[in-house]
Amino acid sequence: MELKIGWLYPNLMSTYGDRGNVICLQRRCQWRKIEVSIVRLDRLADASQFDLVDLIVGGGAQDRQQEIVMRDLQGAKAEAFKKKIESGTPGVFTCGSPQLLGKYYEPALGQRIEGLGLLDLYSKHPGLDAKRCIGNLVFELTASKIARELSANLNSKPIAIGFENHGGRTYLGDVEPLGRVIKGYGNNGEDGTEGAFYCNAIATYSHGPLLPKNPFIADWLIQTALQEKYRESISLSKLEDSLASSARKAMLQRLELAS
Amino acid sequence: MQLVDKIRSGLAVAVAKTTVTIIRGLGLGAGSVLPGKIALLLHPRLLSLLFQQLKFGSILIVGTNGKTTTSLLLRSMLESSGSDRRIVHNATGANLINGLVTALLENTNAIGQLEADRAILEVDENVLPLVLQECQPEFIVALNLFRDQLDRYGEVDTISQRWQKAIAPLPKDTKIILNADDPTLCYLGQKLSQKVLYFGLNEPELYLDEIPHAVDSIYCPNCGNLLNYQGVYLSHLGDYSCPKCYFAKSKPAFESKDYPQILIGVYNKYNTLAAALVAREIGIETEDILTAIKNFRAAFGRAEELTVEGKKVRILLSKNPVGMNETIRAVNAIQKNTQSSVTLLVLNDRTPDGTDVSWIWDVDTEQLIGLNGTIVVSGDRVYDMALRLEYSRQNKDSDGFELIVQENLNQAIATALAQTPPRETLHILPTYSAMLEVRQILTGRKIL
Repeated sequence: MELKIGWLYPNLMSTYGDRGNVICLQRRCQWRKIEVSIVRLDRLADASQFDLVDLIVGGGAQDRQQEIVMRDLQGAKAEAFKKKIESGTPGVFTCGSPQLLGKYYEPALGQRIEGLGLLDLYSKHPGLDAKRCIGNLVFELTASKIARELSANLNSKPIAIGFENHGGRTYLGDVEPLGRVIKGYGNNGEDGTEGAFYCNAIATYSHGPLLPKNPFIADWLIQTALQEKYRESISLSKLEDSLASSARKAMLQRLELAS
Repeated sequence: MQLVDKIRSGLAVAVAKTTVTIIRGLGLGAGSVLPGKIALLLHPRLLSLLFQQLKFGSILIVGTNGKTTTSLLLRSMLESSGSDRRIVHNATGANLINGLVTALLENTNAIGQLEADRAILEVDENVLPLVLQECQPEFIVALNLFRDQLDRYGEVDTISQRWQKAIAPLPKDTKIILNADDPTLCYLGQKLSQKVLYFGLNEPELYLDEIPHAVDSIYCPNCGNLLNYQGVYLSHLGDYSCPKCYFAKSKPAFESKDYPQILIGVYNKYNTLAAALVAREIGIETEDILTAIKNFRAAFGRAEELTVEGKKVRILLSKNPVGMNETIRAVNAIQKNTQSSVTLLVLNDRTPDGTDVSWIWDVDTEQLIGLNGTIVVSGDRVYDMALRLEYSRQNKDSDGFELIVQENLNQAIATALAQTPPRETLHILPTYSAMLEVRQILTGRKIL
């Protein structure tokens, strides 16, 4: 079996250790002897390279970098990307990249930045004086498909632990939230939703990075990618995840959420 | 100064000085922040009043990495020449407003007058604009701008824009000393009307094989095009030009090989060059500059060497991706020649460290695996660091790597020391608050 991971603009969209998500997916394949390669979907890549990948990862960008990305991810490339997601290729988009997938983003200063319009959501910065949403974030994954599949694997509710740091607030339209906030701000600090889930794409403000401390999400992405690719039911061998368990336990205890 | 103002500032100074005495008397630490805080409450304009009393003015040192080491080295250069006898210096690295006030207060007499010729102050990158509202320094030295504590600071571009705005209204004879190898700073210098001087490396044999992942500024600060790098010395510092617009690296004031470097690591070459350039501009003789470089001893926690239980320990503060990549590079260069290596990593997530620890995933910790050694991890976020190392391993069965996880820092240090063979050096890479803890455990004294 072989898995090709597409990494969106590695140099431009990697502000908060988001590379950790790519490293996590890559290692979990290598440790299972699944052949894995990384395709850098940067400015030099053309639309045809989007067709090659089985899984897409995107991280956060600083404002200037985000503008460069938006100028580049247009036309044939944008179409190839959308087609890929809508045909069921799984993806994980963290930090600023959900804003990129949504309809538009209104920064504190300057003009509205149009998004890809893939997800029915918009984001808005409430102004430079407004507090940023910063801190440890804990949420339960509730989007029906992923929640059902994860619960079956875990025999418990899927709880994600991460860290959020965003000025913009996101409001969902006709799209399922990824989860329900247990601790932290989530999409906007008002409605208790966190992220969005569409086809097999995960959009979330949670970095940390997301996957190393939530290995069950990493494995869901790998499994779904392989199943979509080979069109058969695939189960992954279990890995030793005691360090991740300890890291999760330590954070839940600190936040007084340990059961 | 108005009489009332004078009395009020005298009172503020007196109270603050008493605080220093009490903190030290009780053995609570060095008292490097609290006195300033109290004095500012009693007299909000105190910083500006104190700055005005400096005979030769002040030198402000900013940058993400290297402030403490550079300011200590510069101080040594001035002292070695004997030109300045009384220098104010925030040597403990307390570089927010309170820390600056405290450092100045330490050199005041009983009636609140400053008895000093010059101040060498490292200043937090975010605080520089505030400080420039209170003083007109003789020199501003900017070392570099890397990604650091994004939860607190925001982006590299934003900081450089704020600096430019704050520096622009300063007198034209203010000397601005900048790192030419950092595109963001070089661009800043090209837009200023003050006297700008550059330092930089011209030693292509030090080029890295590839640009590390943890880079911020490989895009042209003028037009946004990808910069063309002839070579990279560390992170985004290197020899570059923009293939699309006029922007190119400004010429440094002298050859980098004119001065030997202090301590270890390429980053300390930059610190040496920055200090030497300021010293030259002040008129210090080359001989005195070289003497100070030769005799330099590390600032606390910055490649500082201690002997503990007969073993050598080197503490290398590692608080952001670039800094940690460079300390790993320096440690690897040393450990390559030894039989076995022991390294202790301590990751905390308190306010001075930044509460967001995701930056460790931008560090190339893969370089630590394959040294055939032992790594001990500890700190508030010990398991996050352990995970980062675990995911640095491609072949867990055959890489010969041993990871020891210890929540308790005392135990972690004891284990790391025990694992270190005699005559070898234990390298400790802590974040800021972790460094203070490590030093306290190793030396028994606290820095407040």
